[in-house]
Amino acid sequence: MTSFSVIRWIVWKDFVTELRSRETISSMVFFALIVILIFSFSFSMDQQAAREVIAGIMWVAFAFTGIIGLGKSFSTELQNDCLEALQMVPEAKGAIYLGKVAANFAFMFVVEILLFPMFVILFNLEVVEEISLLLLVFFLATVGLSAIGTLFSALTVQIRAREVMLPILLLPLVVPVMIAAVEATKGALNGDPPAMYEQWLELLAIYDVVFTVVSFWMFEFVMDS
Amino acid sequence: MTIHRVIRKVQRFEGWFGGSAVLCLIAGLYLGLIGSPPDYYQGEVVRIMYIHVPLAHTALLAYIVLTIGSLWYLWKRDPIVDNMCQAVAGLSAVFTALALGTGMIWGKPTWDTWWTWDARLTSFTVLLLILIGYLMLRTFVDDPEKEARYGAILAIVGFVDLPIIHFSVEWWRTLHQPQSISMRGVSISSGLLVPLLFMSVGMSLLFSYMLMVRTQLLYLDRLLHAKKGRLLSQFHLSKSDS
Repeated sequence: MTSFSVIRWIVWKDFVTELRSRETISSMVFFALIVILIFSFSFSMDQQAAREVIAGIMWVAFAFTGIIGLGKSFSTELQNDCLEALQMVPEAKGAIYLGKVAANFAFMFVVEILLFPMFVILFNLEVVEEISLLLLVFFLATVGLSAIGTLFSALTVQIRAREVMLPILLLPLVVPVMIAAVEATKGALNGDPPAMYEQWLELLAIYDVVFTVVSFWMFEFVMDS
Repeated sequence: MTIHRVIRKVQRFEGWFGGSAVLCLIAGLYLGLIGSPPDYYQGEVVRIMYIHVPLAHTALLAYIVLTIGSLWYLWKRDPIVDNMCQAVAGLSAVFTALALGTGMIWGKPTWDTWWTWDARLTSFTVLLLILIGYLMLRTFVDDPEKEARYGAILAIVGFVDLPIIHFSVEWWRTLHQPQSISMRGVSISSGLLVPLLFMSVGMSLLFSYMLMVRTQLLYLDRLLHAKKGRLLSQFHLSKSDS
């Protein structure tokens, strides 16, 4: 088996598990809906105020739901000692990492695509012209979140209090992603010229590359036993 | 069981570090608090700089030491390097917290606020959160080898992230509003620089001394646990024999 087929099998396995159980995506979507509901109670929003804060609310909801998905990514492997089986894969551990990143990215991106229309409807956003730029922001930020999140999901799965430790370790490290995603989304929703916020897209792209490489390298040390 | 040769070296030299730290800090405090003139704009308040700036420098120095130690641990897997990493992480967290605290005390009279989401304050806060996360992570792992490995991974990822965090926060602040309060407002004259230099060197020496003592402590603690385990198992064996 080549490393590439390891990646493919991991993605396939995660997709099939998800299709059969429908646990991860449904829990992520409903959690996000509750977050949106609570935010709409917390801020009384007219359309003008909504434009100011909606980007922040959106990314808080996406980050929190992302953490739910990331946490499940490796905790499901604890059943039937699947984690040990993964550790025994003779190919490079990096292949497992890339497979898991791809699967986590897909789940988070699907959830974001499902939720985005809710935001548009509930907060009366006008997004038609900017939709391709927004999708680019979602794509870049989700790559960053899943690249570093997958590493920490694997790291926290074998320790005590893992449900608490994953967000505690992950959220400070994704501060740049959150800032850049919120600023770029805000710019796109306000209809600013792209030149005003393209530096945030560049920052997201740099973050994605740096942390895919670093996490790929560090994953070897997480899995070695 | 013999004491590790690195620990023997540390025991021989730590006194020099502690002693010179005290001398530098006394000289720096004297020059800073009594010898140097008050600042033209800030008056006597500026003197907290002689504590605040060295604390911040030392906090960053400590994080660099933590990163080097973590890389070294992942490379060599020597438990004594991990004792050093654990020691330096705790110290780094203390120095970062003190730097933030003294910064807030300085901010109140000069900026008229305890806290502002200034770029440097924000990135130091994130640094403190990463260090607290590191210390928490270590307490939640049962196996000492795994504890060391996971800690090292977090420290290295955090080290790569820190410059990116700093730049993103800086852009974020400068895009929103021109920075009304700048640390660069204080120009450094030589009368201020000399005590600052003494304090910075003294604080780094103090940090090295504390690091040496704490590494020893953690190392001896590990030896003690190993010895206790061996004695207990011998005790149980002899009981089952009789």
